[in-house]
Amino acid sequence: MSSLDTNETLRDLHSAATSHRGDRVFNRVITGAAFTSLIVLAGIAIFLGLQAIPAFQSQGLAFLTTTAWDINTDPPTAGIWGMLYGSVLLAVIALVIAVPASILLSVFMVFLAPPKIAKILTNLVDLMAAIPSVILGLWAFYILNPPAEEWQQLLNQYLGWIPIFENASGNFLGTPFIAGFVLAIMMIPIVTSVTREVLGRTPPELINAAESLGCSLWTMLRYVALPYGRGGIVGGVMLGLGRALGETIAVFFVLKLVYDTNWYKVIESGGGSVATLIVSRFGEVTGPFELQLLLAAGFFLFLGTLVVNMIANLIVSRTGRLQK
Amino acid sequence: MTILFSEQTSEESAAQKPLHPWRKKPRKFTISVALAVVVPFLVVLALLLYSNIPGALVMVIVYLPLQLLAAGITAVYNRGVRSIGDSMIVVLAIGATVFSLVILMSVLLSLVVRGIGALSAHFLYQNSVYINPSTPLEYGGIGHAMVGTFLILLIASIIAVPIGIATAVYITDVRGRAVPYVRFFVQAMSGVPSVVAGLFILTIAVSTGAFNQSAFAGGLAYAILMLPTVARTAEEVLKLVPDDLRTGALALGSTRARVVLQVVIPAARTGIITAILLGIARVIGETAPLLLAAGNNDGTVLNPFDQAVSSIPVYIFNNVALPYPDAVTRAWGSALALMILVAVLFTLARVLGRGRVGKY
Repeated sequence: MSSLDTNETLRDLHSAATSHRGDRVFNRVITGAAFTSLIVLAGIAIFLGLQAIPAFQSQGLAFLTTTAWDINTDPPTAGIWGMLYGSVLLAVIALVIAVPASILLSVFMVFLAPPKIAKILTNLVDLMAAIPSVILGLWAFYILNPPAEEWQQLLNQYLGWIPIFENASGNFLGTPFIAGFVLAIMMIPIVTSVTREVLGRTPPELINAAESLGCSLWTMLRYVALPYGRGGIVGGVMLGLGRALGETIAVFFVLKLVYDTNWYKVIESGGGSVATLIVSRFGEVTGPFELQLLLAAGFFLFLGTLVVNMIANLIVSRTGRLQK
Repeated sequence: MTILFSEQTSEESAAQKPLHPWRKKPRKFTISVALAVVVPFLVVLALLLYSNIPGALVMVIVYLPLQLLAAGITAVYNRGVRSIGDSMIVVLAIGATVFSLVILMSVLLSLVVRGIGALSAHFLYQNSVYINPSTPLEYGGIGHAMVGTFLILLIASIIAVPIGIATAVYITDVRGRAVPYVRFFVQAMSGVPSVVAGLFILTIAVSTGAFNQSAFAGGLAYAILMLPTVARTAEEVLKLVPDDLRTGALALGSTRARVVLQVVIPAARTGIITAILLGIARVIGETAPLLLAAGNNDGTVLNPFDQAVSSIPVYIFNNVALPYPDAVTRAWGSALALMILVAVLFTLARVLGRGRVGKY
């Protein structure tokens, strides 16, 4: 019996069995529980969205397009543009570091390493994914910061004429580069596990055919494996991106939050991140109005990550289907 | 580096003369590869010993380009221009692997080296009621945070595990019309940033006034993050249960509820436990939701409602940037304890997951 037949038989049997009253109840309970995720997602959107209304009424569109956080002035002004932009900048830095590293790491695991070593590496990458972000923040604050400060000074000294390596303040801590580097460390295991799986699913016929046509490893990757797994790799990168945009605690320890837009100076102290803004302001929140502003910021963070994640999942599931 | 060229297939030279890959490699080949490995290594060793450029920088701006150059030259010398890409990709892939491993090892080693000094029996069971950041390490500990984390995880599991398994059952056994949508929403839910989950629970608490920062609120926030992991893992596991078991049970006259509860789930029980463990491991280190929803407390709190409660991640968070060495050592110690917990959970999940899922 093919699996499709079984599937239909089961469904028929199930619908025949629903005449039983206990089963109808069971069916409803399970179906209700299955929609919890939808209810929670809608609940987040509605509750945070409602809280965002007062913030919008007082700030207008400027809440999204300006950068300020003066709650005690009259009228108070607040805008999260710098934070939104900062989140994206950090994510871009993380992508620049993490994507090549993850793809190369998976190439090593799939095509170069002996199976035993590849297995150990898979476990180590999973272990890396399991490091809680607060521990990564602690590590970055004490272990990564001192050498990173030194690297950035040298970068500035020798390549300071390139605009992105400008630094006027002489302070090399709390820079977007360090925060992006930490985010890259969080992204590498996510992207690697997806990429490894996608590359590992390249049909061996294709690889053998390419090799018998005279392809070397590089040409095989370039013309067979990477194009074949492109969708999955892009999806994995987007999943990692969603994670990077929403990451809070690790960034909190290594980024100096400034209410200003740091456009491109990646090794200049100070930057922004919406998620980190929420946590750092929450500790000293001055009243219900500021809390509403933070909830509104959370609403836009939620929307952004939701969109990125949905696109990622669509891409991953579509390539999964195509490859089968 | 010899792995590098051992699996090579025919290059352009194949057109000119056969390669005979089974023959012993010519001496010229061995020597050139050895040179390509040894020369850059010696140069870097000299730089590391006799100059004051930071080590990591030497690796990136000297060693990597030098190694690429050496590999490229060797490749051209041995196999012609077309093999340059191959040599580059091998060097870069090994470089990326080493980079990731160095970071992982640095995190784990620093945890052990800096955290071991704080770990002691009393550190694990005492609370921090009379403890200042400057109190020496002989007093105080993370007992209250362990109790709090346990309480929050318990509440989160009570909420998320049944719903997660029910979601998986809907996909694998009920197989209703909405399966693709349910799967889509579960995936979308797994992307909710942890800080947003905390904000959401906080908003409910503030707008309804039903509860304050408490273990219950923290558990709710954790449940949001746990649910997708449990649902997806449980789905994978329930899929492995053979359909023969289901049809057999139905043919014997069981109701659907009995098929699921007495046949499918028992057949997959180790896998279900794996799903629960992975769910717990996913959330145990999350700090932001607890910072917002559960708060902080120096004492041990057993009442899950009405009272802010401490937890290991929040304890770490509060101690990281304090200007007292002992407080920082406490942060490292509790981070080490947390990492050990996570590692134990993952190992357990691995060992169980390798077991007899779906076999009966």
